[in-house]
Amino acid sequence: MNHYPILAIMAYFLCAFLIVVFGKNRAVRNILGFIGTAAPLCLLIMLAEPVLFNGAIISYWMGNRAPVGGYAIGIALEVDALGLFFGLLIATAVFVAMIYSFSYMSHDDNEPQYYTLFLMLCGGVMGLVLSGDLFNMFIMVEILTFAAVALTAFRNKVFGALEAAFKYLVVGCIGSTCILAGTIMLYAQAHTLNFAQLAAFLPGNLNTATIIAYALLFIGFCTKAFLVPFHPLAADAHGAAPAPVSVLISGVLTKSGLYGIIRLTYILFRTMGLGTVQFWLVFLGSVSMFLCVTMALAQHDFKRLLAFHSISQIGYVLTAAGLATALGVSSGLYHAMNHTLFKGLLFLCAGAVLHETGTTDLGKLGGLSKKMPVTTVLFLIGAFSISGIPPFNGFASKWLIYQATYQKAVESGNIGFLLVTVVCLVTSTLTLASFVKVTQSVFFGQLPKEYENVKEVPFGMRLGMGILAFLCIVTGLFPGLVQRFLTGPASNAVFHANSYIDAMMGFGYAEKFGLADTLPVSFESVGVWSPISWLCLLLIMLFAITIVALTSKRDRISAADKKAQAANAVSGPSFLDGAPAANKYELFFGGEESTYSQVGGDDLFWGFKHNWRHYFSFMHDLHSGIVNDYSLWAVVALALAMLYAMIIL
Amino acid sequence: MTVFLDALRYLAYILIFPGFIFCFLTGMLLCGIDRKLVARMQKRVGPPILQPFYDFFKLFGKETIVPAQANRTVFLLAPLVGLAAQVVLQLFIPVFSFSAFSGVADIIVVLYLLLIPALSVILGAASSGSPYAGVGLSREMVTILAVELPLVLVLLAVAKTVGNAMGTGLCFSLSRIVEYQVANGSLITKLSMLPAVAAMLLIIPGETGSHPFDAAEAETEICEGMLAEYSGAPLAVYKLSHSVKLLTMTSLFTALFLGGACRWVEKLLLGIYPAMAAGIAIVVEIIILFLICAVLVAVCVSLIHAVTARLRIEQLFKYYWTVVTGLAAVSVVLAWYGL
Repeated sequence: MNHYPILAIMAYFLCAFLIVVFGKNRAVRNILGFIGTAAPLCLLIMLAEPVLFNGAIISYWMGNRAPVGGYAIGIALEVDALGLFFGLLIATAVFVAMIYSFSYMSHDDNEPQYYTLFLMLCGGVMGLVLSGDLFNMFIMVEILTFAAVALTAFRNKVFGALEAAFKYLVVGCIGSTCILAGTIMLYAQAHTLNFAQLAAFLPGNLNTATIIAYALLFIGFCTKAFLVPFHPLAADAHGAAPAPVSVLISGVLTKSGLYGIIRLTYILFRTMGLGTVQFWLVFLGSVSMFLCVTMALAQHDFKRLLAFHSISQIGYVLTAAGLATALGVSSGLYHAMNHTLFKGLLFLCAGAVLHETGTTDLGKLGGLSKKMPVTTVLFLIGAFSISGIPPFNGFASKWLIYQATYQKAVESGNIGFLLVTVVCLVTSTLTLASFVKVTQSVFFGQLPKEYENVKEVPFGMRLGMGILAFLCIVTGLFPGLVQRFLTGPASNAVFHANSYIDAMMGFGYAEKFGLADTLPVSFESVGVWSPISWLCLLLIMLFAITIVALTSKRDRISAADKKAQAANAVSGPSFLDGAPAANKYELFFGGEESTYSQVGGDDLFWGFKHNWRHYFSFMHDLHSGIVNDYSLWAVVALALAMLYAMIIL
Repeated sequence: MTVFLDALRYLAYILIFPGFIFCFLTGMLLCGIDRKLVARMQKRVGPPILQPFYDFFKLFGKETIVPAQANRTVFLLAPLVGLAAQVVLQLFIPVFSFSAFSGVADIIVVLYLLLIPALSVILGAASSGSPYAGVGLSREMVTILAVELPLVLVLLAVAKTVGNAMGTGLCFSLSRIVEYQVANGSLITKLSMLPAVAAMLLIIPGETGSHPFDAAEAETEICEGMLAEYSGAPLAVYKLSHSVKLLTMTSLFTALFLGGACRWVEKLLLGIYPAMAAGIAIVVEIIILFLICAVLVAVCVSLIHAVTARLRIEQLFKYYWTVVTGLAAVSVVLAWYGL
């Protein structure tokens, strides 16, 4: 059992290399890809019983180089409930993305390279979350960054793909450099890179050097999670990358950044008790949440819109994790899990639309629900989940987050946290608004002529989406079980850094440094949400109403009428006939110029945006799309983080 | 046997009171009262109070036309889901001391359940493929956004006030909020709640989409927007859920601010008919609830309807995010500092 973590990481890398060698043949390639993603998933699921349910912590010393005299020299893997929780998320998302890739990528050139990079990225992220060693973590960050950059530019014939990859490369490298610099500073201070030893050393040694290292590492992981101000990169990267890669970037790569931040603040530095750190995380999370959801409202490309939402949801997670309460952390982790599931599903749906129609421009698409019914239903499940409509999973976790923020406000007596609750709730509604826009623009509304021959996507792709949709519903219906078996143990691990240290360095090591687990762990929530009873009610009600509707309804349409209707449907004038084909939103009010109509351009929520026009034009000017600006933002963010870190001290 | 009786009891809750039949009758009546009152205020004779019932059954007899552009399943299923969700929501709102499903009621759950009927109308409209519906749904979504922020603040203010008084710091449970009021008097009597009451009175017409906040349904401008393509039975179902929404919003107001209005009923009845006090009390309470709802409809739906002209959508949004949000925020701050 101790070997499972290393085997899981090795499976990815091994299959990646085997695909380079034997990947010319499609069947061999697919089998290797399948094994490469299924095997780690199985291994991690087998670890769930001891680690998540029984609370064991697995440590593994490469080459059996166990610590000598309380000093860890060898490379170590350490799997606690937090790491395994993220590992399971990643393995699941990766597995689904792989299944989806088999059909989705079958028309692309250079497939072996795609699968190699894909598995390298997976291996990098898995290595990162299971690593017990800071330098090892940095290496994994490098691997995953470069694999992600190469995958972003994989379809380099697509407009903007190379540019997106270049931006990602530049800012991603700034992030990686920050992580390396932080690692070096910590090594100089603590003379060790082992997490457990660092975790024992750092809390008692918060001086200028270590706190600057904290700021550096923090910013480094922020670039990996695409938090504000690194959000424009995500939009560009998602817009250009193939859909399964988007799943990896949003569902997997951002999680590695979040994992880094949580590991760093809760376990390595144990600074979560400080109000300043809480403020930092909550502020950054709330800003990311709100800013990115408004950015998403202004988008007219399906995948770019999803990309901004992705960061908005990460903002929720960071906000919740920054509350430093047990309820906050567990609800944040719950939302992180849900984000992987529903955002993966939504990206795969966007990929399905792209696969069939060749575009993701919301202004050009429309009416696909008749042609792609399965995709539509799956998309709606994803959209309801992310907008937090009960009883899907997004609601369960957001609801816990609202409670956590409100509880924090009451406990700390700080009215600022109440504002966070309000921002969370409003963001959720804005999310709903932008998904209404997508639903209306892509799946409902008028079907343009050129998409009349569009077909449903192949079975492999539907299977991938179906798995995620199923998981979205299951995790939404059984929040109690999720809390008990997944997020509960994981957040328990977050608050018990001492056992993390002891598992690695031998029992009693943490106490030698005078460390105590200070934060109490209780999952008291202020309300009850039982989706099952609600769903039963809704179903009974729906059943009753349907019966009433069916019994009283008389079908008055005769066969002749139906024929006439059918004839009309084929030859009858459509709203789109004779109107200029520029943009479908300009056609309301009988083709009036958009300036005279209330819905101008591709702007479906005019009433909202008009009131926020100054904000939106400010944002428009700010997001110049020039990589120099974004690098500058990165440097400014780093400088601010360092300055702020001095305040913490 | 007890399981069977429980099931029967819950079935009665769902179908009769406070479920489907209650919602149907009172919602329609409230709608009729509203139409009559508006007409009288505008010096018209107006339809009979039972007109919504006649309309409902008339529409059921009409042909249902599904547009060729529409996605048939979503188009026909959306009204049903909307109505079901609306009635389920009504089940969660306590009627004074009586609540059918107390364990699941929670103000954030209620907040989200309020979204589902609106969302199902939006999806139905979107699936119809009509441009008028497109404009309507865009405005409806903006209206939802506009109303959401003040509504959240009002709910937080109430949660904080009750939480303070109960010593727990926060209280999200709707039935607990009502219980508190039954014991200690209605929240409307608290000074800090007055701005929230005013905000909530302005939220009711916004949520129910009545004048002057009906940009989404503007009949004269965009042909009822989202309902443009609906006819026959689905339209009847929509009209019904719209009337139920009147009931839901007004009874939510009652639960939040007037929960203690019937404190005397049970005491009084215990003095007169101790044997049947509980049974009669519920009947009296239902009648009082209906009267309160009717007064609220008269004040914040009919009166405002009769004296105002329709706002443009961006004016509506601005109004809610400045005036109404401001009122609610004042209340939150006052509640926070325990005034």
